[in-house]
Amino acid sequence: MMMIKLKCRTSWSVCFALKRHLAHSGRAYYSNAAERKNENTFDVIVVGGGHAGTEAACASARMGVNTLLLTHKLSTIGEMSCNPSFGGIGKGHLMKEIDALGGVCARICDKSGVQYKMLNKKKGPAVWGPRAQIDRELYKRQVQEEVLATPNLTVRAAAVEDLVTQEGPSESGSSVQCCGVVLDSGEVIPSSTVVLTAGTFLRGSINIGLTQRPAGRIGDEPAVGLARTIEKAGFTMGRLKTGTPPRLDKRSIDFSCTEVKPGDERPMPFSFMNETVWIKPEDQLPCHMTRTTDQVAQVVRDTLHLNRHVQEEINGPRYCPSIESKILRFSQKTHQVWLEPEGLDSEVIYPQGMSCTMPEEHQLVMMRAIPGLENCRIVRPGYGVEYDFMDPRQLKPSLETRLVANLYFAGQINGTTGYEEAAAQGIMAGINAACQVQAKPPLVVSRTEGYIGVLIDDLTTHGTNEPYRMFTSRAEFRLSLRPDNADIRLTSKGYTVGCVSEERYQRMESMRQKLKENLELLADVKKPTNKWRTSLGLPATTDTNLMSAQSLLCNPLVSLSTLAQAWPSEFGHFLQADPHLLDRLDIEIKYSTDIASQ
Amino acid sequence: MFARLNVLRQYCLLSGRTANFFQWTKDSTQIKYFFSSSVPHSTIFALSSGAGKCGVAVIRLSGSKSSYALKQLCGKVTKPRTASLCKLMNPQTQELLDRALVLWFPGPKSFTGEDCAELHIHGGPAVVSAVLTALGSLSGLTPALPGEFSKRAFANGKLDLTEVEGLGDLIHAETEAQRKQALRQMEGDLNQLYTGWRTGLIKSLANVEAFIDFSEEENIEDDVIELVTTSVMKIQTEMEAHLRDSRKGERLRDGVHAVILGEPNVGKSSLLNFLCQRPAAIVSPLAGTTRDVVETALNIAGYPVLISDTAGLRESCDVIEKEGISRALDRAEKADLKILVLDFEVHGANLSNVDFPTFLSSYLSDMRLYQNNFREADSVHDSPSNSDQSLSFDQVPEDSWEVLVVVNKSDLARVSDLKQVSQHASGSVCFVSCKTGQGLDRFLHVLAGRIKDLCGDPLTSSSSLTQTRHRHHLSRCKQHLEDFHNLLSYDVVIAAEKLRRATRELALITGAVSTEDVLDVIFRDFCIGK
Repeated sequence: MMMIKLKCRTSWSVCFALKRHLAHSGRAYYSNAAERKNENTFDVIVVGGGHAGTEAACASARMGVNTLLLTHKLSTIGEMSCNPSFGGIGKGHLMKEIDALGGVCARICDKSGVQYKMLNKKKGPAVWGPRAQIDRELYKRQVQEEVLATPNLTVRAAAVEDLVTQEGPSESGSSVQCCGVVLDSGEVIPSSTVVLTAGTFLRGSINIGLTQRPAGRIGDEPAVGLARTIEKAGFTMGRLKTGTPPRLDKRSIDFSCTEVKPGDERPMPFSFMNETVWIKPEDQLPCHMTRTTDQVAQVVRDTLHLNRHVQEEINGPRYCPSIESKILRFSQKTHQVWLEPEGLDSEVIYPQGMSCTMPEEHQLVMMRAIPGLENCRIVRPGYGVEYDFMDPRQLKPSLETRLVANLYFAGQINGTTGYEEAAAQGIMAGINAACQVQAKPPLVVSRTEGYIGVLIDDLTTHGTNEPYRMFTSRAEFRLSLRPDNADIRLTSKGYTVGCVSEERYQRMESMRQKLKENLELLADVKKPTNKWRTSLGLPATTDTNLMSAQSLLCNPLVSLSTLAQAWPSEFGHFLQADPHLLDRLDIEIKYSTDIASQ
Repeated sequence: MFARLNVLRQYCLLSGRTANFFQWTKDSTQIKYFFSSSVPHSTIFALSSGAGKCGVAVIRLSGSKSSYALKQLCGKVTKPRTASLCKLMNPQTQELLDRALVLWFPGPKSFTGEDCAELHIHGGPAVVSAVLTALGSLSGLTPALPGEFSKRAFANGKLDLTEVEGLGDLIHAETEAQRKQALRQMEGDLNQLYTGWRTGLIKSLANVEAFIDFSEEENIEDDVIELVTTSVMKIQTEMEAHLRDSRKGERLRDGVHAVILGEPNVGKSSLLNFLCQRPAAIVSPLAGTTRDVVETALNIAGYPVLISDTAGLRESCDVIEKEGISRALDRAEKADLKILVLDFEVHGANLSNVDFPTFLSSYLSDMRLYQNNFREADSVHDSPSNSDQSLSFDQVPEDSWEVLVVVNKSDLARVSDLKQVSQHASGSVCFVSCKTGQGLDRFLHVLAGRIKDLCGDPLTSSSSLTQTRHRHHLSRCKQHLEDFHNLLSYDVVIAAEKLRRATRELALITGAVSTEDVLDVIFRDFCIGK
């Protein structure tokens, strides 16, 4: 194993001194107020201010650990760098779980969405997918407010150039330990643990047409030095690619020849802490749908020789493919194009499904071949990104690396795609880095407990050869890992480890208690089948066998409210009950029999 | 994660017969991971031919050190896949052990997929022992455990589970028909059938999963669920037909159980002795000579038959005889074929008077054997179960009821009577005389025909279920598919779970299934991406 070379000689002494101190004071360190006054010493350093980074930093700070968030630019914290939406099928499940652990993204989405929609509403509550179109600016601003207001969290704009490591056996058996970071200025910041959430910035390169230039996102610096350091430490790296569509000027689009797709009439909040979302249902913005034409396919084929990104043999995602690969693989079809608003006051439209990397002038020709976009203007061209990722099989289930102790990786750097996948890893890495500092055992969510567990177990045991996205079909225990019960599954775990507030815990406990009482009541109240049926106006039967109210409710014609009306003495309280409680009771009953046999 | 230890344990259990292998339930994705990461480390060797003195004995080696072993014993690695005559030397003493034909199969083109070698040596026990000792003295070589060669072949993807089972059966095959069936199975016949279904179900599952994970706002065809329903229904129908094969394959593999029944002293034991061509049972003119069940394994026309002679059925006060009768009834319950022996002197007259099925029905009833239970009877489903009966035949599938009626002592009949009676009775009645041998050839012919029907012809086009293990998983698979149809409109997620379980049941017969299989199909067949 190779030692990471230090850029700054003086850091050795700092590092050793810190370590020695830690070894003596151990757990007491984080709560030592005098120690904390040293403003250049942190327990957890989070590198990167994307979705993984903010969740990691906030989680570790929530646990009372002195945390530093380092990012290139403060203004990009909480930036939604690609699509203007959060959630969806599988992804929505992850958000509910992040929220159950006290995370940030779900709460902010409830305050910044411009259109809320529950996907899969017709397909059974286990796979309902809460999704929202988000106002980018509102989201970013509120994340930044939250981050800056979080106690124990310091934020600083700086580029991290290297990691500080030292050799010597650690508790976890690695022979190298991470004990801080080196900034590009050469400044060394010591810390007990480092969470690296570098996204696509590791040797990132942007492709448009035949040009390729090194960069992270447009306008940001790629982290070349860091990538080299990680490779030198002996980590196996791979390369992945992804892309983003051109952005359009809203005023240049003729929406009259597109299909209007409104939001839900009763928008459901993402967070268990919220009863409703911030926006009035009628104020929600619509999305619009249009389709590609033969002409679009023609442009794609004609410009292949000008399209470096498509020609390369690097794995891109199979499920969020560029329009080029969709047309090359499924030539016979037309493809949907979703025109999504980027915010309440934004004049930018995000054409979901049109990610492309052909030269800019051809992008315009192609976009204008789509109904409704005949006169469209491109605000910013689409482009492709290639980046290094770390083989996630080199991570422990806690997301700590096996090679370097006290170093955690989270987010796109581990080969995933999507805000939610990144945030889910971020919160876990942040919690576990803090656990390490506080000498607690790591928090590991198993495959039976949550999609977070599925995500991390898949990554750390199987690795990935394409950008990994969550699907409900990845979860073996899909019937019990539902969006509705994420709090019951995870909140007490989070409370025990310290990343969940008292308020959230009490809220979950009260809901759990109410669910339990009512489920017991429904199972206990038994009446002859014929009596049930006549009382509810169902077709009569001669069956006099006793049936529980719970079994009765498995009949789709019976609801809690009809039951309450027919039997007010037993179930009258349902009429005034919290609608969330009733929804959850319905779902619990529906799956109760099959989960038992799962 | 949680299943891995369990899988490890199951993997270790795989030796010889694989009947108990793959009992794991959850997360079968782990199996792939486990196999791909566990390269068998040691090189194994074993005497692969039978024990005892023989002309030639074959010792087989498998593993990365096979070439090292060849170098040590023969001084060189011989030409691949060519028989080479070599001197085998003791690697320590350089003493000549034997002159042998040596075959070298470099992996992966070998039985196990690893480097393999075969040493064809002289078959004397001392030679075999000397060569085995020499191999054992080499570092990294260990004697193979039972079934370990097949296990490695399985782990390396050379054989699937049904093929391993077929191989085991081929080695154990004792009759010609068994050999044919086992060979077909080893050649992947059942594997093809089950894998075909599995592939179909995985595709359907992928369609349902795509419908769940992507259909909203993405390009999934609207009729995808209808396609799935049709396709699943088709597999279900095929599976039902396969399950309705009257256990032919299992019978052929395990032997047909036939039992000889009848009143005392009608000649049951004589009939057994005729079939065995030896005095297997004691025969005497005294009623009640046979008290226990006398069982003999026979090869009849290439089919394995396990035939039991039983105590004569009558009311008895003798404790031992009563127990014998109870055992006879018990055996009759489990048998595939019942040979009912009648005495011509007693029943000859009845046979010519009444309709034969009616007679037989009432006779069996009188014998307190059973009622309305043989094929000719129409009223099988209507008859209320007789709680007085010691047997509960109504629980046994109807098609397992096979009665072959043998009327013995036909030598005592007048030729004209016999002719008249045999015309009256149906074709499945044989008139024989164990004393004179009259009619026995015809009986044997009829018996062979019945047995052949019970086992099926292993060379006909449809392959048969050969193991109860397969039947178990297929039945469960079928049940899950039925549930899938019923639940589809209620909750597609629960229905998908049933389909997933159905697929898993098939995977339990042949090998592994992983969620990646499903995702691969999804991404091959659908253009995903909103």
